[in-house]
Amino acid sequence: MEIFDPTVAPVKEKILYTPRPQNLNGLRVGLIENSKHNSDVLLLKIADRLKAKYGIEMVLLHRKESASDYVTDEAIDELKQKADFVIAGIGD
Amino acid sequence: MADEQEDPVELIEMYYRRGWTDGLPVIPPSQKTVNAALAAVDLRADDVVGEIPARNLKLTADKIAINAVLAGCLPEYMPVVLAAVKGICHPDFGYHGPATSTGGAAIAVIVNGPIVRRLGINAADNAFGPGFRPNATIGRALRLLMMNTLDTRPGRLDRSTLGNPAKYSLCFGEDEEKSPWEPLHVEKGFKPHESTATVFATEGPHQIYNHLSNDPQTLCITMADSMANLGSMNITGQQNIVVVFAGEHQEVFRRSGWSKAQVKQCLFDHAQRSIAEIKRAGRMPGFVSQKDESELWPVVRTPDDILVVSAGARAGAFSACLPGWGGYKMTRAITTAVDER
Repeated sequence: MEIFDPTVAPVKEKILYTPRPQNLNGLRVGLIENSKHNSDVLLLKIADRLKAKYGIEMVLLHRKESASDYVTDEAIDELKQKADFVIAGIGD
Repeated sequence: MADEQEDPVELIEMYYRRGWTDGLPVIPPSQKTVNAALAAVDLRADDVVGEIPARNLKLTADKIAINAVLAGCLPEYMPVVLAAVKGICHPDFGYHGPATSTGGAAIAVIVNGPIVRRLGINAADNAFGPGFRPNATIGRALRLLMMNTLDTRPGRLDRSTLGNPAKYSLCFGEDEEKSPWEPLHVEKGFKPHESTATVFATEGPHQIYNHLSNDPQTLCITMADSMANLGSMNITGQQNIVVVFAGEHQEVFRRSGWSKAQVKQCLFDHAQRSIAEIKRAGRMPGFVSQKDESELWPVVRTPDDILVVSAGARAGAFSACLPGWGGYKMTRAITTAVDER
């Protein structure tokens, strides 16, 4: 009798991470909040602290349609154009 | 994979040891049973049935067949299993949310059309309960597929806080013959002679009881109270809700001449809470204003977000609602045609 494997392996992809900025001073940050309670509040507080400490300007707060949605390609393009780095956050 | 095992009990243990079960014993497949499952839907093993982009996974027919056989499905159940799989792969079902959430959704499979009778899918007594092979195994096949192919396992990508027993299987038919209304799939635009499977992410059935009422409105009020419970995700998510009326309650509506649209409207009108109540329960943020005391918030956006289905025994003054998981932007009930070749 054979064993029949019911599982599927995901297609593996190589993801290259963008190198982290070595110096945060004066950079522009984009925020992605997941639409749950206080996600935006938390991220904006983080942005305030970054501004105070590094002079970082918050240039864009993107709100996902729902917590389980992808960030759209359009939103990613906009973030890439306007921000030097992005912080994505959850809330509940 | 060719591990030679001659003892069927030991073979079942092998599947347990590899973590490929839902906790219950599975039916070890053979090439014959897998081939029969594939033949029943006229698919080749490597035919892609659906994919979940968030997992970078394609679901091929062979894996669906293997999980269906593991679940105990007969080959003739495969068209329904396939329709359910297509449903959860539909972008509007938003698989990732209900599958991984701490909310612990079960995936209800509601079957309509001639295939209900042909396969013996129970739509009557004990509609949600045990005792019927297609009900038990079709729903189970879907869950096993989710666990085995999509890593929707407890402690891995299934982060349910509590889960619920309907996650083992929740599959039932609509009793179209005895229903006072048009069936769910016809409402969704399918022909009566077509068969469909509707998948829906749900907390699970909340039974309601009203033996005294023979008035449609008071029945709706009873049901609406269960629909609008403060602990339900629907309170803020305004997701679909499935409402199942069983025989005795169906007769109240039949005698009154209420259409399905009237039932939905009445449920909608009564399944509402004041903003004040919702805030006092901590389900919405903010202080309670005077305006909040009188402003009502419905648990669905429109009456048509309530899916009314007829199922259950002719005897017993019980019906049920199945609140949805999440919110209306995250997932929807999806109805897919069953391809009966």
